[in-house]
Formats: sequence, C-alpha cells, structure tokens
Amino acid sequence: MSDQFLLFLVRYLHVISGVMWIGLLWYFNFVQIPNMGKIPDEQKPAISKVIAPEALFWFRWGAAFTVLFGLILAWMNGYLVDALLLKVPEIGFGMWLGLIMAFNVWFVIWPKQQIALGIKEADADAKPKAARTAMLFSRTNTMLSIPMLFSMVSMQNNFY
Amino acid sequence: MSKILESLPLTIVAGVVLTVIMAFLTDSMTSSSGLSGAMKDAQGQISDMTK
Repeated sequence: MSDQFLLFLVRYLHVISGVMWIGLLWYFNFVQIPNMGKIPDEQKPAISKVIAPEALFWFRWGAAFTVLFGLILAWMNGYLVDALLLKVPEIGFGMWLGLIMAFNVWFVIWPKQQIALGIKEADADAKPKAARTAMLFSRTNTMLSIPMLFSMVSMQNNFY
Repeated sequence: MSKILESLPLTIVAGVVLTVIMAFLTDSMTSSSGLSGAMKDAQGQISDMTK
C-alpha cells in the first residue's frame, strides 16, 4: 500500500466519520429538537427510548473517530503541531473547533442526555435541567460546525 | 448567549458571523506568516506536478 493511498484512506475515513457526526448533530438540531413539542405525549417514548439513544451512539462514536482520523491525517501531512499552535491557521482553527465540539459531545452532551433520557438514574428535577444543558451545548456545536467546516474545506481547496 | 442558542435561526447567523471573523483572522495571519506562505508554495508545486 503506497503512502499516498494510505493518506487518501485516512482522509476518507475522517470524512465518512465526520458525515456521521455532523449529520446526526444537524438531525438533532434541525429535525428532532424543534419537532418534539409537536409529538403527542404517548408517542414521545418512540423518540426518547428508541431513536435518540441509537442516534446518540452513532453520534458520539462518529465524533471520536472523526477526531482520531483527523489527528492521524494532520500527523501524516506533517502539520499536526503547527496547526494546533495556530502556525497554520487555515486548518488550525478548524482543528481546535472540532476538538472543542468533540469534548462537548463526550463530556457534556452524552452525560446530560443519559440523565435526560433516563439511561442513568437521577432525580425527576434533574431531568429537565440536564435536557436543557444538553440542548444548549448541542446548539453550541451546531454554531461551531459552520466555521469548523469552512476551515476544513478551505484548507483542502487552498482557499487562502 | 443562551437566548441566541435557543433559537435555531440565530444560532445559524452566529455561526456565519464566526465564520466571517475566522476567515478574516486566518487571512491576516497567513499573509504575515512565513510558514503558511511556504506551505502555500509547496501546495502550489504539488498542484503543478499533478497537472
């Protein structure tokens, strides 16, 4: 396997994981959250007990593998440290935004969603509070995904 | 900030504003950075080689 093909393969895996992650992030924010209020109460468990836990599984692992393959790709291209130090800001800003977003997924959104969806035991009062925190951090990630994707695509297409 | 994040359209607008700020910041940093200039030259050479 040539180095060039290996580089392509890692980039492909980075992109395919990223589509899984950001696709589900946008599904939550553009489809699920705005429409939960329109679903009758007796039908809500279909979302909270079936769809959301499954979507969250692919969402958080999509985030983890996007970061893993992204860091490998940056290392293979020789700009990992320089990008993280913002000496290559074209990709550096995007990498930092992606890292912040992945941190939010694993250390805020997923723990709070476990409480909100009843996967983890918690007081009844804690559920709406956890759901709101998860929603706000999910929205933060939606906001950050716009410049993050700009950075990723502009680097690939020599925009600057 | 939470007022912006509670609204999906305002979240998108905030994302676009951040993108514009980031693009201008990146542009100003790359035009004054020798490393990025060298990287651009290398990318240009690779692009020429593949033509």
